[in-house]
Amino acid sequence: MKKIIFPGLIVGVILFILSYGSLYIGIRFFPNLFVDYNNPLFNSNGDRDVLFYMHAFVISIALSWFWDRFKGMFRGYFMLRGLEFGFVYAMVSLLPVMWITFSSIDISAYMVLSWFLYGFVQAIIAGIFFAKFNP
Amino acid sequence: MILSRPFLLLLLFLGLIVSFKSGVFDPDKWVLTTQCTLKVNGSTNVNKFSCVIPEYSQPDTLVFYKGNKNEPMKITGSMALDIKRFDCGNAMMTSDLRKTLKAKIYPKIIINFLSLSRYPDLSSKEGAIKGTVTIELAGTVKRFDVDYKYARSGDKNLRLIGTKQVNFSDFNIDPPRRLGGMIKTNNELNVEFMLNLKNLN
Repeated sequence: MKKIIFPGLIVGVILFILSYGSLYIGIRFFPNLFVDYNNPLFNSNGDRDVLFYMHAFVISIALSWFWDRFKGMFRGYFMLRGLEFGFVYAMVSLLPVMWITFSSIDISAYMVLSWFLYGFVQAIIAGIFFAKFNP
Repeated sequence: MILSRPFLLLLLFLGLIVSFKSGVFDPDKWVLTTQCTLKVNGSTNVNKFSCVIPEYSQPDTLVFYKGNKNEPMKITGSMALDIKRFDCGNAMMTSDLRKTLKAKIYPKIIINFLSLSRYPDLSSKEGAIKGTVTIELAGTVKRFDVDYKYARSGDKNLRLIGTKQVNFSDFNIDPPRRLGGMIKTNNELNVEFMLNLKNLN
């Protein structure tokens, strides 16, 4: 359990800084890319902000468990292990979820693609750190 | 003859009232014709939006009570607009504005005209005056001073364009915020209503 929670929390802090930092910079310098979020599909009254910002920790602890369970299958240099881990997560989890999201909700392909890449990069970063902290 | 004196006094009194009413507070009726519009301009930290109710064609009447030239002139009349008719030029933005303005619970925006600083000078082609209105939105009524520009078109037609900056918070509406508050709608809204009036007198 310690092998899951501790690396999960550290990676959570790293993902929190990187994810929301990049989102903040993206909105500030490329505002046009975010116009589609002015859409009633997205929560707009702020009552779920805490949940939104907890996402970095939810994904990092979930991925930490996944890493601990299957880390033996990822071999090689730690960077390569992290990359393969991110790829597996993207294929097994992100792709089907994004597929059903795009097919059922009226949002743009660009938006879904950006979420896919966002999750993919998060999983690669998490995998690289897990390979270091919990080899 | 003795009985008719009070009657004559009463007649004189009523005559004075009638002449006072018609001379000093002469009601002037104007009907709202087609092509009255309401435009709302706002912004978020990622874009600007402009939403318009393109045509308001209910035959509402505004009554101007012309009084002393130096005093504000009372008006009665209002316009009630369907929030569902807002068009932001983008289906998502339109839908978002309706949701923000709680259109399902409060489907109308009601502008109640209260006064003008003076009667528009119909001898000049255009001019500027001030006025007061109440705006009822999302269940809250708020009184505002409005800047009007007016233009005369034809003998009996008048175009009044009122502008006012209001805030979402004036109506107890929280400006929408998304992605944990990273995308924020600014509190200020510029409201512009254009009234095309036709004189009925």
